[in-house]
Amino acid sequence: MTEPVGHRTPQPAGHPADPLAPSGLALLLRRFRLIRVGRVPWIAGGLLLLLVFCALFADLIVPWDPTALNLGKALKPPIWEDGSVPGHVLGTDNLGRDILSRIIQGAQVTLEVGLYAIVLSGGIGALMGMISAYFGGVVDAVIMRLVDIQMSIPSIALALVLAAALSPGMSTVIVVIVLSYWTWYARIVRGEVLSLRERDFVKLARVAGCSTPVILWRHILPNVINTLLVLASLQLGSVIIFEATLSFLGLGVQSPDMSWGLMLNDARPYMTRAWWPITLPGIAIMIVCLAANVFGDWMRDTLDPRRRQL
Amino acid sequence: MLNYLIKRILQGVISIVGASAIIFAISRLDDPTLLLLPIDATPEMVENLRQRLGLDLPIVQQYLIFLGNALQGDFGNSYRWEQPALALILDRLPATLELAFAGLVFALALAIPFGVLSAVYRDSWFDNFAKLFAMLGQAMPNFWVGLLLILFVSVNLGWLPAFGREGFDSLIMPAIALGWYPVAAMTRMLRSTMLDVLDSDHVRMARAIGVPNRVVVWKYALRNAAVPLVTMLGIYFANMLSGAFVVEVIFAWPGMGRMVVEAMFARDFPLLQVGVLFSAILFVVVNLLVDLSYGVLDPRIRHD
Amino acid sequence: MRKFACAVAGAASLLLCTGTQAAEPATGSLTIAQAAESTMLDVTRAAAGVDWYILGNINEQLLQPDPSLEVKNWLAEKWELTEVNGLPVIEIWLRKGVKFHHGGELTSSDMAFAHKRLANPDVSKWPHYQAKVDHIEIIDDHHFKIIFKEPDGTFIPGAGLMRLYGISEAYYNSHTEEEIQQRPDGTGPWKLVDRKVKEEFVLEAHDDYWNQEHRPGVKNLTIKIIPEDITRVAALQTGAVDWIDAVPPAMIDDVKKMDGIATTARPSGNNLFMSLPQYLEKLPGRNDNPFKDVRVRRAAALAVDMEGIIEHVLFGQAQRYTTTTPGSAAYDASVEPYPYDPQKAKQLMTEAGYANGFDVNCYNLITPREPNVKEYGEAFYAYLGQVGIRCKLIGEEYAPWLARNNRSREPQNDGILTHMWGHGVVADPGTPWSGHMHCYAPGEGWGSYSHYCDPEMDAMVKEQATVMDPADRIPLLKRIGKKKYEDVAGGITTYVPLVTFAWREDKVDYKPWPWMGFWRKLQEIGIKH
Repeated sequence: MTEPVGHRTPQPAGHPADPLAPSGLALLLRRFRLIRVGRVPWIAGGLLLLLVFCALFADLIVPWDPTALNLGKALKPPIWEDGSVPGHVLGTDNLGRDILSRIIQGAQVTLEVGLYAIVLSGGIGALMGMISAYFGGVVDAVIMRLVDIQMSIPSIALALVLAAALSPGMSTVIVVIVLSYWTWYARIVRGEVLSLRERDFVKLARVAGCSTPVILWRHILPNVINTLLVLASLQLGSVIIFEATLSFLGLGVQSPDMSWGLMLNDARPYMTRAWWPITLPGIAIMIVCLAANVFGDWMRDTLDPRRRQL
Repeated sequence: MLNYLIKRILQGVISIVGASAIIFAISRLDDPTLLLLPIDATPEMVENLRQRLGLDLPIVQQYLIFLGNALQGDFGNSYRWEQPALALILDRLPATLELAFAGLVFALALAIPFGVLSAVYRDSWFDNFAKLFAMLGQAMPNFWVGLLLILFVSVNLGWLPAFGREGFDSLIMPAIALGWYPVAAMTRMLRSTMLDVLDSDHVRMARAIGVPNRVVVWKYALRNAAVPLVTMLGIYFANMLSGAFVVEVIFAWPGMGRMVVEAMFARDFPLLQVGVLFSAILFVVVNLLVDLSYGVLDPRIRHD
Repeated sequence: MRKFACAVAGAASLLLCTGTQAAEPATGSLTIAQAAESTMLDVTRAAAGVDWYILGNINEQLLQPDPSLEVKNWLAEKWELTEVNGLPVIEIWLRKGVKFHHGGELTSSDMAFAHKRLANPDVSKWPHYQAKVDHIEIIDDHHFKIIFKEPDGTFIPGAGLMRLYGISEAYYNSHTEEEIQQRPDGTGPWKLVDRKVKEEFVLEAHDDYWNQEHRPGVKNLTIKIIPEDITRVAALQTGAVDWIDAVPPAMIDDVKKMDGIATTARPSGNNLFMSLPQYLEKLPGRNDNPFKDVRVRRAAALAVDMEGIIEHVLFGQAQRYTTTTPGSAAYDASVEPYPYDPQKAKQLMTEAGYANGFDVNCYNLITPREPNVKEYGEAFYAYLGQVGIRCKLIGEEYAPWLARNNRSREPQNDGILTHMWGHGVVADPGTPWSGHMHCYAPGEGWGSYSHYCDPEMDAMVKEQATVMDPADRIPLLKRIGKKKYEDVAGGITTYVPLVTFAWREDKVDYKPWPWMGFWRKLQEIGIKH
């Protein structure tokens, strides 16, 4: 299964041959300076910032307590429709809870799951990819077979098996996402490191007696960090959708925690009598995913134009 | 070529056996017996059932028994249906394959013209439209697309059946729900390789000697630009299978995915195992076929 | 023409020919849809309630309830409870001329076979229901006795009504377990002719069915499985199916407004309640257990506006209950549910010394075993908070919920738990009460999912288990029910879900029949002429 990946392994190009490769942060800053201001996707970036803002300050900005029930106000429409109740801008759900407040609160879970999943799967994947490529031989073979095995199990199927064993919940979601996504990072990072390994600055470092962890951390990681950032930003949208899907199937976030996917699941029985509970959280997912994908595309085009096919 | 084939098949076998071990180990963390008996069942009845299902043995022994039987084609009986799990899954498999295939066809039917025309009319209104349309699909969960389709197309307009698997009509909405998601990635990939190919010397040469534009674009260029897309087909097909788990639930599609989802909630481990294992086998086989097909599409690629 | 058919069929179908007009075989086809799918199609090996949706049309029992919930002699023409040497004996005269789908007539030896098979734990999920029967003594082909080892209070009115099914010994002996599952044999109004897992069941009216008065009015019946609520309703609306079960509560109004659609609601056989952890000495994080005080239990019962929950959360698709539902042996109309009275509740909390309230874990079942059960739990637990019983809400899916429920499994319930027991529409609460109102007694079969412990209640529950004669049994059950209500024993009784059926009025002739606590028995469904 590694062969199709091999075909797409990019040719080494554009990596600094400087034996004293600059540290990750400096390298990153230098790259960012190349960004042409005019092409920054301001709208997408702004929407993502809004998501972060909602997630961080959810408790302060929600107009209503997102968990407070009010059965008398169940399934009231948004304020621009007839029959709405004052104060509930986006209407209420089947238990009379404020939908806007729940969407804001749901941003927290969306972002939390997204960040955990991305950082963990990116970290584990990058580490495995680096180790695999750097050591080669048996280590490489074992890790790559693990990747194959992992990739052969569809992620939803894996989620089903895991949810049956652990009970469903936010941590199960994160475990499933990490297990499903680390292979992606591992394969691509491995491809990069395979070529980096043979480059002069790495060889020099080895000759100079640097230990393996130092070489991986100081000389290799900085050179794959762009790729990691691009992969991570491209992944955000798909993680959000995956979380929503798991929660919708009942395998993910469980009430009383809330997430947009769970809101859709809750709204499903009422979709013929109330359009807003089934539509609005879905639109929130759509907007955030669109923003994340646009932002990810831009990151890729800016930082790593070779990967425009991803 | 033969060596390569043997190596790939071997890798595939390792994947499948490894997947089976992982699935088996995880699913043995839970005890399904309570779900299989009436709520007032006595502890003796529970114990009797555990023994009958072989759940009292050490897990390694359980796995070896499973593996031994599996090699002989016996994947055990479903706990809940008390029928061979393999037969239950194989019965549902064609429906799932049909759905996954339909989803893929829908995706390609959009992505190919989108990708080609976007490259030809780069930065035109069509390029932007195609990009937006494709990105929308990538930004919506497939179950949500499915629910909205049922709500508007079936319930409100009454145009298409909302459920089941009866004829072409019932395939349209599930295929859209399933196939829209990968359109963006496919379009992007095809567009970018098309741009490269259209810019290449031999395309310029073909144009220079007067080959019609239509032929250049749709025959020469597309044939070359499609290779990376084809290499990804295995992955896309796997995505379709994965997505089918959810879409089948929404559309009451009588496939393997829905059965496996229910098997999870019922902790019907033999059925869950076979279902997940079959998805893994399908993935491995499809990828192998895709690998082998490169050579046909692009004679420059040789597997040696 | 009919005369000719009778002559050919000969003496065996004499009964058929002497019958009423209804003897004419039904014609035509109907397609209906059910939300849940039966899995095991063998009355002895089936365990899930949903299995009886199909089996209830194929297999029959000695006694069965009719639509007015009155228990009728069914396969038994007559029965008598007597006592020999101080032990109960039930003598049964079997109905004559009852034909199996795959040939042969029901005899006493089939019933003895049914008992043996049901008692065998390797092929039965119900051996505990036969545990007190010693054997069946056959007197002749249509006359036998059930001899008991010890009295079994719930045997007659219990969830199974004599708990014996008319199954064909010859058919079972000549087919493999798998074949039986694929094509179960029975005496019921419908014969299974084909089945596609996850898709459909194809049934055919049993032409030789013994009951001339109540039988299907259509020859072919296809039952589609459509679990998705909206899809199922849409299928009815578009005419793809003619009848559906389990109209989702949120769509009741939509469905009632549809042209040409008739609906009817019936109580399901499920009783929901909120189990209170009275059995613990201490609640987690506390040095006491407030629920040991009956005033706190009553306060909890008074704190919740169940009427409001039924109206808004369950869309009216529920009815309250205190002891059991109407039709059940222990039903007592004089016991009214606790009213919604938060003032009184707070007062009781203060009297009990919990004026400032307390925190407790609240386990909410989130798998929709009943419609909107998750939302009901959320609303219920929110109401408790208003009188100071502050819930830490924990959602639990069905499988872990079952384990928490069960006293022999870890983790144990240490809080309030959404709970339910299915005793059937027309049945007896003896078995479920033994399960959740008696102290847990490992190895003895009492209290296997109980979070309540009280010696007085234990004695009463033990007593009812041995009283078989309905004349003595019913007053005893009512006494237990009254005490259960007053002590809030076992938990707070909340509601019985209603299940709504909808069908195309112009086409379908349908009368709901109960069976084993469900209403999916299609005893009388046919085409309107």
